[in-house]
Amino acid sequence: MSPTTPVGPTGPTGPAGTTSLTQPADLAPGNPPAGGGGPLARLTAAVGSGIARVTDNALGPYQSAIVRIGFAGTWLLFLLREFPHRRELYGPDGPWSWDLAQELIANNGAFTTLMWSDGMVWFEIVYAVAVLSSLMLLLGWRTRTASVLFMVGVLSLQNRSVFMGDGGDNVIHLMAIYLVFLRCGQVWSLDARRERRTRERPAREGLGAAAGPERPDAAHADRVGPLLWCALGFVLLVATFGGLVPGGFAGGWLTIFWGLWVVHGAWWAVHRIESDVRPRVLLDIVANLAHNAALVVIMAEACLIYATAGWYKIQGSRWQDGTAVYYPLHLDYFSPWPALSDLMTSSGTMVMLVTYGTVIAQVAFPFTLFNRRVKNVLLAVMMTEHAAIALVLGLPFFSLAMIAADAVFLPTSFLKRLGGWAARARDGVVRRVPLGRGRGGSEGSGQGAPPPEKETAEQAHVGFTA
Amino acid sequence: MDAYDEVSNARRGPDEPEGPVSPGPGDTAADENDSADADTDTPAPASPPVAETDTSIPAPASSSSADDPAGVPVAGADTGRAPVPARSPAWASRQGPYTPPPPHSPSPPNASPPPHARPLSDGTLAPAQSPPPAASGIASLPLPYQIVVALALAVVAVVACVHVGMVFLHVAPSNTMTKQHGQAVDDWVYPEFEQNWKLFAPNPLQQNIAVQVRAEVRKPGGGFRETGWYDLSALDGAAIDGNLMPSHTEQNELRRAWDFYVSTHDTENRATSSRGELSERYLRRIVVMRLDRELDGERADGSGGVVERIQVRSRTTNVPAPEWSEEQVSDKPVVRELSWWSVTDRDRTEASAE
Repeated sequence: MSPTTPVGPTGPTGPAGTTSLTQPADLAPGNPPAGGGGPLARLTAAVGSGIARVTDNALGPYQSAIVRIGFAGTWLLFLLREFPHRRELYGPDGPWSWDLAQELIANNGAFTTLMWSDGMVWFEIVYAVAVLSSLMLLLGWRTRTASVLFMVGVLSLQNRSVFMGDGGDNVIHLMAIYLVFLRCGQVWSLDARRERRTRERPAREGLGAAAGPERPDAAHADRVGPLLWCALGFVLLVATFGGLVPGGFAGGWLTIFWGLWVVHGAWWAVHRIESDVRPRVLLDIVANLAHNAALVVIMAEACLIYATAGWYKIQGSRWQDGTAVYYPLHLDYFSPWPALSDLMTSSGTMVMLVTYGTVIAQVAFPFTLFNRRVKNVLLAVMMTEHAAIALVLGLPFFSLAMIAADAVFLPTSFLKRLGGWAARARDGVVRRVPLGRGRGGSEGSGQGAPPPEKETAEQAHVGFTA
Repeated sequence: MDAYDEVSNARRGPDEPEGPVSPGPGDTAADENDSADADTDTPAPASPPVAETDTSIPAPASSSSADDPAGVPVAGADTGRAPVPARSPAWASRQGPYTPPPPHSPSPPNASPPPHARPLSDGTLAPAQSPPPAASGIASLPLPYQIVVALALAVVAVVACVHVGMVFLHVAPSNTMTKQHGQAVDDWVYPEFEQNWKLFAPNPLQQNIAVQVRAEVRKPGGGFRETGWYDLSALDGAAIDGNLMPSHTEQNELRRAWDFYVSTHDTENRATSSRGELSERYLRRIVVMRLDRELDGERADGSGGVVERIQVRSRTTNVPAPEWSEEQVSDKPVVRELSWWSVTDRDRTEASAE
């Protein structure tokens, strides 16, 4: 990638404005710099502004939040739905027994904490942690920690019993890994709310102007973060010295987990340094870089899924003769509503239109990203199709996972409207809850405003966090 | 640990100063921003309107301060906002008041820490209009930090590109590159990034494969009896019927176990891979578990017993051709029968051992 070269200390390091400073000869004063200068200057300016963009911002805050909520929610629902079957699916004495898993994992080296012990208690602990971490991630409580635990939970359960999964599990598996690198708690999260309240507190108390940097206050006030960090560090220490984590330190899981642990600690530490802001800036930039790269990878992954699904279909005779959609609908394993399946496939023309439409949409999807309007239309089509698949083929979790992956492409304006609706719906519920209910009351009183005003406050928040 | 995640987002508004007055200042910058279009969008920090509205392009010639090479822009200051120099990147306004101006930084130093950076209009707007004190931006950092950032940028970019490339080669058909570097691709992708998106492709499955089992049961009173065939897949199908959320135990367990068995055995049921034995044990455990559940009902009336041996078979039936199609497909099932297996204790799950 060419952007790496000009970032050197002598080259233009910032956006266009900075470039114009370092190359004053190219620009007549008063000229819009973007229009002036040679192609080279324009190129460096573009590269510079591109670099500034990916280092300064964690892009797509709403998109990363909806992806986080989507996958955490899907996995949480799945875990709750399978709760009665959890031992059969992943337990030490399920059909895919601990011994069988041991033999397979000895070969493929997949990561799962469930191989640390064949005890039922350990299994129940891991399952509970998986459920809790999904909930944490869904709500955005200690998001970055939650995302690591979420990944551990997903990998532990899925890698324990690989033959229980399907395409939906596969998507969740990949996204659980990518989510670790995403700053996905910027909006729609308890973290964001806590951050906002810490910032607002001095303002409400009339200290705003005098308070100056209140971030260190926030860091000082926080006890849960360091506690969580210490506890997880202890677990990691035990796991390391118990020889439980495979892969060793050289690029293996130990490197990843200890690395994440150190980074989290460093993040906390640099926010306590009040004399020097530069380490904080540095970590912020690195976090943004990782976030933006992960976002690109998630988008690329979604495109690869559709491209693969589409291009391989083109080669199939059933997709060519326009009957393909008929068949899955008549498989015993994928027809929870046989009458509905029959109805949907009663017309050969309809089946052919849906068959061709599916292939066209899947093949075209990656290319439509170049045009915002077409992309949005196709996105709606894809999500609708997945919603239909959820019901008709009896694949609700696969469909939810795919919709969550699609959501990374949703437009910010739509997501903000969605957030507004959600906030209003929540406020509506909160208002209807009798005052005796402590939780709802505290939720409302947190901002010290009567309900109608709170609504606007919430909307302002939605706007602010954009 | 990400209590400050929101920060990066709060300082989104590089065009904030010239934006129209709106309830949520952040809106203006991002409203029309679409992450999918992010790559094609012109980055906001360089948007020309800024240069036109704020007249002081901080070119050295117009520098207002002789000893300050970057110039101290003043245009924005009288508007009651942080003194953001025209066309200066967003981070310039975000530097904390206590940020020492890096000597060789091209960014304009924060000459006047804005005490009014936190307008206390109504509390809700305050955070949006006040850039958090955390500074940002490469240019605000000294050289060693910039080198680290450059390294991080390079590493992140390379890893992301290599990863996408590897995953692409993993899902692509066998080709020149995968033939030459297949091992490298496998090393990267397995075990955690393995994926298969040939969803119903190239052709959807067009047969219903029923896995059935019968058993030799030792009767409670002594002696043996042979059961009839139990259609375990039909039981799965019945459990799925009318189910909004079929369980993986019904939809995937037996179906995929049979796929696993078929893929690791030849048509003579000889294992073709080292995993063949695993798949046999897995299949036995599922089948014995299911069989015991079925026999449980019969045990209640005393006719049950202990499963001693089992035989598994698959019965494959073509999905009938659509009514509107002229195609003819055979409706005769194809049966594949495995040999009898003795059931040992390790084939019994907890559920079946009781």
